[in-house]
Amino acid sequence: MMSSSSTDYYMLIASLPFIPRTFEVDQVPISRLRLAERLTLLDEDDQQVVEQVQQFLHWDRQDSERTDADVQREYERLMDTIQNSLVRDIIIHRMDVRTIMSGLRRRRWGLDPPAAVGQYVAHIRKHWQHPDFQLARKQPWIPSVRESLEKHEPLQVERELLRATWNRWTQLADQYYFSFETILLYLARWEIVDRWTRLDPIAGRRRFDTLLQETLSEHARIDN
Amino acid sequence: MNTESFLLLLGWAGVYLPTALGAIGSIVGCARAGQAAVGALLDVETGYGRLVGVSALPSSQTIYGIVVTMQFNRTVAVESAPGLFSLGLLVGLALLSSAMLQGTCAAAAINTTKTKPEVFGLSVAPAAIVEGFAVFAFIFAMIVGGGIPGGPAS
Repeated sequence: MMSSSSTDYYMLIASLPFIPRTFEVDQVPISRLRLAERLTLLDEDDQQVVEQVQQFLHWDRQDSERTDADVQREYERLMDTIQNSLVRDIIIHRMDVRTIMSGLRRRRWGLDPPAAVGQYVAHIRKHWQHPDFQLARKQPWIPSVRESLEKHEPLQVERELLRATWNRWTQLADQYYFSFETILLYLARWEIVDRWTRLDPIAGRRRFDTLLQETLSEHARIDN
Repeated sequence: MNTESFLLLLGWAGVYLPTALGAIGSIVGCARAGQAAVGALLDVETGYGRLVGVSALPSSQTIYGIVVTMQFNRTVAVESAPGLFSLGLLVGLALLSSAMLQGTCAAAAINTTKTKPEVFGLSVAPAAIVEGFAVFAFIFAMIVGGGIPGGPAS
């Protein structure tokens, strides 16, 4: 799988700006375009894995409602095509979050437990009436997300979900240094920062102001 | 090949192993740190010199290896061959691993310094500590090597 020698990732990793310890920042540490440029330093096999991760993360952030059958199909397709254990871990974690969230929402709407997908489907069905599906020990973010859901605070729900995923990627990233996994976890965390900066209205306003100032100063330079 | 020739072969290998293994370690170590330095150049506006300078830290193991080889260099005999091989191999392995891992420490220092230039001195400390162990291995190879029969070639 990893055809590159162990020294190949040093340059790419050192060329990426420091990713902050929290995702609640005003802007991404590196633009999508610049990040894509840097990723061309990887060899073809690694670029394919990176593309799989990016495609999944893109799929995962789509807001459109999907049926259980859609999610099940996508999950099976990914598990059939992806060999890298960390990428599989990333997908399994996000699918678990998706299933638990689907369960919390469905119960609020008086629907049946979700049919897709992952390790917790049967567990959720069994503990359907328990407030946290008896999963709070393994998934400590569930109580706070459930409370935010009940208070109708969608931004807070999204913040809690991103924080849960962020913490997991950060813990994993601490185990790797100058390896391909470091790059994958950088991408996964970059995606969260990007997602947050697009959600957060205050950060959005600041980014707009910064862009406006840059554009105006650029114009002023040209006029002079 | 008879036993005597085999022993002489090991003896000659022992003479050159410190240089060879030290150089392999330096190659890997400098390549790791050097790649990190080059990558960091893409992300910083100043301080290029010290980033590239840190990447050269794992070079010293080759120098230690050369000095040990010069100390071991003699007309290899059956009596001196086992000692030369044992010491040459062990000090070579110590130099090899210290250079490779020092390269990783230097790369980490470069990666940290590009974001926080004020911690440059502290960030290089782990690489310096690794260097210390290479120095221990080098010095004691010289001391213990003094007891190998034959003495250095004139």
